[in-house]
Amino acid sequence: MKININDYAQVTRRQNLDELLLLAERLRGRTVKMVNSTSVGGGVAEMLHRTVPLYNELGLKVKWDVIKGGGDFFNITKAFHNALHGTKVEITREMFDSFLETNAQNEKEMVFDDDFVVIHDPQPLPLIAKKKEGNAKWIWRCHIDTANPDPVLWEFLKQFIARYDASIYSSPSFAKELPIAQYLIYPAIDPFADKNRELTRSEIDAVLRKYSIPTDKPIVTQVSRFDYLKDPIGVYEAYKLVKRHADCRFVYAGGTASDDPESNKVLAELQERVGNDPNFHILLLPPFADLEVNALQRASTIVLQKSLREGFGLTVTEALWKSKPVVATAVGGIPLQVIHNLTGLLAHSVEGVAYQIRYLLNNPAAAERLGKYGHEHVREKFLITRKMRNYLLMFIALQHQGEPIISL
Amino acid sequence: MVPFKFYTSSLLVEITGRRAEDLPSFLRILREIDASSIFYHVHHAFREYSFAPGQYSNDFARWVSEELEETPLAEKLASVNIKEVTDLETLRQALIAIVEKYLAESPNNRKALPGREFYFLRNTGIVIPTKYEAKTIEEFALALRQVGMRSIYYHFFDARLRLGHKTNDFSNWIRSNFNDEALAARIEALDPYFMTLDQLRDRIISFCLPRKKGNFIMNIISRLIKIS
Repeated sequence: MKININDYAQVTRRQNLDELLLLAERLRGRTVKMVNSTSVGGGVAEMLHRTVPLYNELGLKVKWDVIKGGGDFFNITKAFHNALHGTKVEITREMFDSFLETNAQNEKEMVFDDDFVVIHDPQPLPLIAKKKEGNAKWIWRCHIDTANPDPVLWEFLKQFIARYDASIYSSPSFAKELPIAQYLIYPAIDPFADKNRELTRSEIDAVLRKYSIPTDKPIVTQVSRFDYLKDPIGVYEAYKLVKRHADCRFVYAGGTASDDPESNKVLAELQERVGNDPNFHILLLPPFADLEVNALQRASTIVLQKSLREGFGLTVTEALWKSKPVVATAVGGIPLQVIHNLTGLLAHSVEGVAYQIRYLLNNPAAAERLGKYGHEHVREKFLITRKMRNYLLMFIALQHQGEPIISL
Repeated sequence: MVPFKFYTSSLLVEITGRRAEDLPSFLRILREIDASSIFYHVHHAFREYSFAPGQYSNDFARWVSEELEETPLAEKLASVNIKEVTDLETLRQALIAIVEKYLAESPNNRKALPGREFYFLRNTGIVIPTKYEAKTIEEFALALRQVGMRSIYYHFFDARLRLGHKTNDFSNWIRSNFNDEALAARIEALDPYFMTLDQLRDRIISFCLPRKKGNFIMNIISRLIKIS
């Protein structure tokens, strides 16, 4: 189903959409080039697939280009990705050379005659060399948690970043001291994507049947990768504490990533702990299981996110959007979304998580109220239309650099 | 008669790169940071649709309460009378004085946990005229129902700093064009810091439209909206 910009009037306030159109009017005909390194898979590509047609519908002329690279290049950029996250990875001179070589080849094939160029993530960063060939404003969009990057790699990348006109981060803690403007744009979800769209009862039931989850008891679900930082063992420990007092089922649903050897180990450890407990369901989801995730979240009585560390925590956003009461640990971007006792409940330990789940299982009216406010919170702050609005504001601001108040 | 033209203002948020981990570093940055950052942290929560009017609305108070657990200080910071402040330097000095006094009395206080430091932000404001315009009080009330929250914010909150005195664009316009001092003063007397923008909008509309007539007109509008 093709989604048009006016369809968002069903999910956001009409006035917010009117204001988006008003901003877009000021940018009518402006050309933008988005560049990233893959057209399928990953959150960035997923978001571009959805936003590029919408920007064009709003009157901008937005194109999306993907840089080309071989397996070596992507192994190197994967290592960069991990090192930016703070994982210890060996970064060599040869890696830098190969990274630059691939970008140099891409430079030869690409033309930049746009008003704005948005480069997503580090892979195409060196394309900034093409800036001198036109009058475009260049923006680097960092989707990665760069709070504690490998210092050598950061110094290398900084020489490119500093030549951009502006950069965008998902959290204030990811920004560094840089000579260019650093904007804060929170991530967002698309309410019409398969992961979030309304589902029929039969669509939900089909998924529950597929994974053999009976609906005889309240369901508490965590959707996360099998990763120690998502604390699957902690989820199981919380389950045991809750189970002493309340009959319920827990579901831990996640995929293992082929580029993450640790995930199999985490999964095996969890399976061993859980044994054949019929009320704790471990689901190994295939890639692109958006509809399944959606159905599992919607079928849940409570959604849990017991992470030890978190980026923004989009799974929390998804659950809140579905009006689910959320119990989550106060890490990363979660407290921005879960305002304790208003849009959900925050906890800081296994015991705290179990305590709050017990509270919600016994107080359905309170759970419903949290879910309702959680939905409203996401509607105002974390939907794709708000994110698009931020981009339009940034384009306008870059046309008026240095003015603290821009009157149009 | 000058028609009232509704504008809308949007914020693009910028990260300053400065962060405080405890009260001494917070105070140091508070003295140095540009005034627009202080304005942002004290006011931005009012801009957006908010359904939680009981919460501390300013970011400083919230951080001090949630991350440093210095509730008495948070209460003091939250109670700075921003309604009376019409310039940002006065606001800065008021905040500094509160933190200084508190630090002198309770010098031993905790640090924020890693990742939960206070990040100073600032913003660029972008102001755009909307299609809404009013020539009478009635038209004004009807338009108020149609415009977005950011318009109401702009004309009500931003205005005081822009105009440099304790009023807002609505009262200003009513006073100078209709000589209706009572209505202008009634709108001025609203305490916008303890209501949502929705509530503020409803109050102003109810002041502008006499009750019976107001209900009648509003009913027609809501029907028209439903039909369209």
